Amino acid sequence: MDWASKYRPQHLKEIVGNGPAIRRIAEWARDWKAGTKPLLLYGKPGIGKTTAAYALANDMDWEVIELNASDQRTRAIIERIAGTSSTTASLTGASRKLIIFDEADNLHGNADRGGAKAIVETIKASRQPILLIANEIYGMDAALRYLCEPVQFKALPARSIAPHLRYICSAEGIDCSADAISSVAERAGGDMRSAVTMLNAAAEGEDHLDAEDVHTAQKDERTTIFQLISAIYRGEEDEALMRRAWEVDEEPDTIGQWIEESVGTLKDPGIRGEAFSALAEADRFIGRTYRRQYYTLWKYATALMVTGSAGAIVKKPASPGRIMPPGRWKKMGAGRKQKLIRRSVLRKVSNAYHIPEQALMEDFLTSVTIMVEKNPEHFARELGLEQEELEFFTGDKKTAAAVVKEIAKERKEEEKGYTKEKVKKETRETEKSPQQQVNDPAPVTSSPGEERDDPVQEPDHAQKTLFDGF
Amino acid sequence: MVLDDIVGQDEIVARLKSYVKTGNLPHLLFTGSAGIGKTTSAVALAREFFGDTWQVNFRELNASDERGIDVVRTQIKQFARTAPLGGAEFKILFLDEADALTSDAQAALRRTMENYARNCRFILSCNYSSKIIDPIQSRCAIYRFRPLDRAAIASELARIAENEGLTITTEAIDAIVYISLGDMRKAINAIQGAAIISPAITEEMIYEITSTARPEEIDELLATALNGEYDGAESMVNDLLFSRGIAPTELINQLYRAVIRRDFDRQLKVAIISHIGETDFRLSEGAAAEIQVEALIANIVLTALRFRDRAGEK
Repeated sequence: MDWASKYRPQHLKEIVGNGPAIRRIAEWARDWKAGTKPLLLYGKPGIGKTTAAYALANDMDWEVIELNASDQRTRAIIERIAGTSSTTASLTGASRKLIIFDEADNLHGNADRGGAKAIVETIKASRQPILLIANEIYGMDAALRYLCEPVQFKALPARSIAPHLRYICSAEGIDCSADAISSVAERAGGDMRSAVTMLNAAAEGEDHLDAEDVHTAQKDERTTIFQLISAIYRGEEDEALMRRAWEVDEEPDTIGQWIEESVGTLKDPGIRGEAFSALAEADRFIGRTYRRQYYTLWKYATALMVTGSAGAIVKKPASPGRIMPPGRWKKMGAGRKQKLIRRSVLRKVSNAYHIPEQALMEDFLTSVTIMVEKNPEHFARELGLEQEELEFFTGDKKTAAAVVKEIAKERKEEEKGYTKEKVKKETRETEKSPQQQVNDPAPVTSSPGEERDDPVQEPDHAQKTLFDGF
Repeated sequence: MVLDDIVGQDEIVARLKSYVKTGNLPHLLFTGSAGIGKTTSAVALAREFFGDTWQVNFRELNASDERGIDVVRTQIKQFARTAPLGGAEFKILFLDEADALTSDAQAALRRTMENYARNCRFILSCNYSSKIIDPIQSRCAIYRFRPLDRAAIASELARIAENEGLTITTEAIDAIVYISLGDMRKAINAIQGAAIISPAITEEMIYEITSTARPEEIDELLATALNGEYDGAESMVNDLLFSRGIAPTELINQLYRAVIRRDFDRQLKVAIISHIGETDFRLSEGAAAEIQVEALIANIVLTALRFRDRAGEK
């Protein structure tokens, strides 16, 4: 039995790290009653999300029903499996059934048609507790996301991983040096499962383990890209640079983006220009490689970017300073958020005025924008626009916030008065509003741009390698 | 083929053997370029694990099989959840070229790997581990196979030569090492090709059979061109292409390697790499090889001269 399963915690209290998340889960289960929001456990792989779900079921003596990406998750299947179990009592006499939707961010477009909607409906109708698990909270269907209370799991610092590894070693009777333990704990990059697997791989069949024995290369790409960039700045020989570039185990486009980020900080404009011109030349070959699926061209791209930037930099040797992940990754995240907002705005307008989204975008967006700018309050109300969506038209954050806030306030008051007055129109509006929120695909109340930052602010481990550049 | 026969990956082989010894195996991810022993290791590992029953308990899926999400949800899951045969403790599923799996398919794989780990261990192989999604990497022990060095290739060639009753000179071994670029498959193909001609294998035969120019010839060609001597360089290229029958793409590839290896002004180097890449691209698009290669030589000469002038001005 592999160690990752063998030493998987069985109870919530045994789980290493993520104290706040674990406490929240325990409270949630204790206070659970029909209608309680499901929890959405999210975070990087290998830090205990699924383990926590099972440990919870174990602690509470709940039966588990799990649906994950290895099952097909079409509407029909979800309704059959989760739908019935969510509304019926358990056969085995367990008090409750915990329904786990693992990999909720991985509903596969075609093969899982209608899956997200079916999960939404299951959640709404459920009389059993439900947990959702995902890596990327913004990779999820927005309607689904809004129905859940998010609970973040964070990557584990090496110092929390190490004791668990030590415990496993003593349980397995392996004499493991402190260096080996810390080497594994560091290299796992906050991923407990990865650490245990690495230890398992190195220690199987041994009774003694030193740092040198930890051969497996788990998750060390980041370190080598730092070394590659430092080597470029040192002006190493081209052959050595090429070998390093190969060892980085990233595709040339990614390497190019790292180099781009770094040479962008060069002070001398002439040298910066020369380096960028080499990167641009390299990029031509990357483009051709993908277009023609002719991978022989890759090597030219790599050669051009490493020798070209090294050649430019050595003319006026500089230090690479702090080597940072490509800034465009962050920008792409922000761009994605804008796109989501635009899409949701188009959908709302399209539904309200019966104009196809495509036509709206091409022909009517300007006129709609002018109208909204003239009377933001009216349209915000009529279209049910959120703050960021209104901002999309008006470009003015303050007013948009004020308008949306005002409308929300009115709505609350209407709700209060609703029981007495029973005005039909208002009834419709108040009923409609939660519905709209549910169907709204845009991440209006939160910002996916920040989520994209993750690779940048990757906890302890990545930060550590970031500083390697000094 | 047994694990002990695998050359050049000593540390990895030692670890794999200890898995066989203890009868326990984590999921594995083999990464590295072509021809360095990933598939061979997986098969050898399965044979040693299962002995006679290896064929029923080991299954290989490679890129020629379908790679969509359905395969993961049906075929792979089916194999993983049925019990192993012949008293084995578990089965092994080898997913060759796992980087060709779509990310949806990879996502569908991750829980299968865990839920059926009792029945089935997975070995994945890929060229770039960055193409394997994190959750799967997190579940595997990752072994990075390195390109084979001279010693590894030489020892394998010597073993083959002994088994097949061949003689091979040291220069011929060097030639094979140069050609193979750390790829054992290429190296074995070269010695096999030469052995068909004669059991006494020489350097000349290797270059001949693989249609490769000697590295020294290429170095000389490059030096001549960089020196601005178009006539000399052109006649060398003609000789290589027409008298020796070296394939234009091979010539370009060798030229590229010579440029990287040679120490000269990097700005000039970048310009020349770009010319070579451009020629390679044009050939791949179906341009006439002879004209393109001659133009390449002309371009190298011109660029070198221009650089020299500019340096002179300064």
